[in-house]
Amino acid sequence: MSELNTSEIEKALEKPAPYGPDIDLSKYKLEEAVVEEARDIDPGVASAAPRVGLEAGKLMYVQANERALYTAMAKALSKYGVLVLPTREALEKIPKARELSWRLVNPARDKYTAAAYLYGGEVGYFIYVPPRTKVPVPVYTCLAITTNNTIQFAHNVVYVDEEAEANLVTGCAIPHGVKEGVHVGISEFYVARNAKLTFTMVHAWADGLHVRPRTVVKVEEGGEYVNYYVTYSPVASIQTYPVVYLEKNAKAYLASIIASSKTGVYDIGASSILEEPGASAENISRVVARDESSVYARAEIEALESNTKGHIECLGLLLSPRAFISSIPIITSRKQGAVLSHEAAIGLIAQREIDYLMSRGFTEDEAKAVLVRGFMNIDAPIPPTIKKQVDQILDMVAKHAVG
Amino acid sequence: MALLELEKLSVCVEGKRIIEEASMVVEPSEVHVVMGPNGSGKSTLLSAIMGLKNTSICGGRILLEGRDITSLPSYERAKLGVSLAHQQPPEIKGVKLREVASAMIKKYGCSDCMILAKTLLVDNFMNRDLFVGFSGGEKKRTELFLVMLQKPKLAMLDEPDSGVDVESIDLIARSIESLRSRGTSVILVTHIGAITERLSRIDKVHLLIQGRIVYTGSPDEVLPVVMKFGYRKGLEILTGKGERIEH
Repeated sequence: MSELNTSEIEKALEKPAPYGPDIDLSKYKLEEAVVEEARDIDPGVASAAPRVGLEAGKLMYVQANERALYTAMAKALSKYGVLVLPTREALEKIPKARELSWRLVNPARDKYTAAAYLYGGEVGYFIYVPPRTKVPVPVYTCLAITTNNTIQFAHNVVYVDEEAEANLVTGCAIPHGVKEGVHVGISEFYVARNAKLTFTMVHAWADGLHVRPRTVVKVEEGGEYVNYYVTYSPVASIQTYPVVYLEKNAKAYLASIIASSKTGVYDIGASSILEEPGASAENISRVVARDESSVYARAEIEALESNTKGHIECLGLLLSPRAFISSIPIITSRKQGAVLSHEAAIGLIAQREIDYLMSRGFTEDEAKAVLVRGFMNIDAPIPPTIKKQVDQILDMVAKHAVG
Repeated sequence: MALLELEKLSVCVEGKRIIEEASMVVEPSEVHVVMGPNGSGKSTLLSAIMGLKNTSICGGRILLEGRDITSLPSYERAKLGVSLAHQQPPEIKGVKLREVASAMIKKYGCSDCMILAKTLLVDNFMNRDLFVGFSGGEKKRTELFLVMLQKPKLAMLDEPDSGVDVESIDLIARSIESLRSRGTSVILVTHIGAITERLSRIDKVHLLIQGRIVYTGSPDEVLPVVMKFGYRKGLEILTGKGERIEH
């Protein structure tokens, strides 16, 4: 952190992101960042959690606006040597946290990272998984904006040490009644040699919310990173473009499922950089767009070395004549021997498939929901417990997508 | 009361009349066979009875148990007991056979669906995407399985014997017998007739040529003639315009 140039970061407060609508952050109020032990789960969080498939009682980190809360569940993991605590606490107590913080994400990247760095109060979660530890249960975290016109910052740092494995599930949502706000989430994930991190994130916002996640992941030799992202609610705008750096023989699987609605702008990408031989990545997205929503599905894989492999698959379904999907796959190879491919298609639900299901007794809406649900089915390498939860969420997404 | 009555039914596809004033009466538990050369309109006729959107009724009526269903959407007809085993069902990526079957079981109920699945040898591909990469026999057996899940009053089977092996034909024939024994009426479309030899009872055979039902008779009367002489010459014989056949 000492190497960071504060004046450069302050200058970045005026720097818009290259993609997505520009947001005037000064219009939103920022509460004081606090860290405290949760005696009870915040009622706002408790009512928001089910929207992203989470049970309040299982949460290991909870954040309501700028209040970061320890939970008893997090302490239950300490017997495995796993640390789950608010980032601010971690920065005070754990040298490793200080070493890792703001190392992957440059605070001067844009106005959102700069504001998070300067004003965010370092709330968010820090998770450390010791070497060769396979965390037996998913680590559930939930971040909610519980009051109107509020800006929420979160700075998350995760380190999965050598040969360890962890499944992290994060839900970001608002309870009923919150209509406007901004969420800026900074995530820095480290997957050490031969370790594996599965990160499932579900977003459920509202049509006045602007969302700006900023994620960078470093996967060391032989490591594996799986990212499964689902967003299904209306939103004013969301813009994210996580970047994953992959060392020798490291693997990444990045899947995004986007069900857009109302007038929301969803600018969602994923970038994988194959830095060393043997690295491979798959960037998969499924977009279902309705109403007057606009979706930019970006995906990029860049091979810096030979003997690397990457595939992009961006598929979109337009459910409304006024919705918009733009699919932007980019593959870049800088060395011979890298095998990169992409597949992109946008279409309508096939009338023949609707007719077929209707002849089996499904109404037109039921048939569309079955087909949309099927369209969103991807064989992601996620554990069965998480898969079950994701399936439940996708059932909800399919119903929402067809209205 | 008849289960199904077609009253001078004419069917159009993209504005062109494909079926011309077809009339037919199917009683409960009867098995009817519709035969005809390729392109004669057999699949169009079944699609129109099912109410598929690729067809439109341009004349006549369809009555089910006396109720006019001519303008009902296909899902309403399905709920009333009409079902169709499609000749070429669409491949539906991402949608598992299990998911569709489960949703149908919720709609129609099922006490013996697992036995059905095993009998029709479809239990092993419940977790596969619907019809994606299925062989001809797998598609036909799956279609029959889904039809049987609907517990239909009328099962229309569109060429269940084309492109399948002998074992599958036997299995399909046994399933048709099973449907009939449950009180289901069957309209079986075929243009090669291989399956008719394996059915213990057929009530009527209709010859459909160039969109018209040109002859209706008993299987003993019609099948040997058509099998031996083909459709056009066979029709001449059946209507007394050609030579008689010795039984």
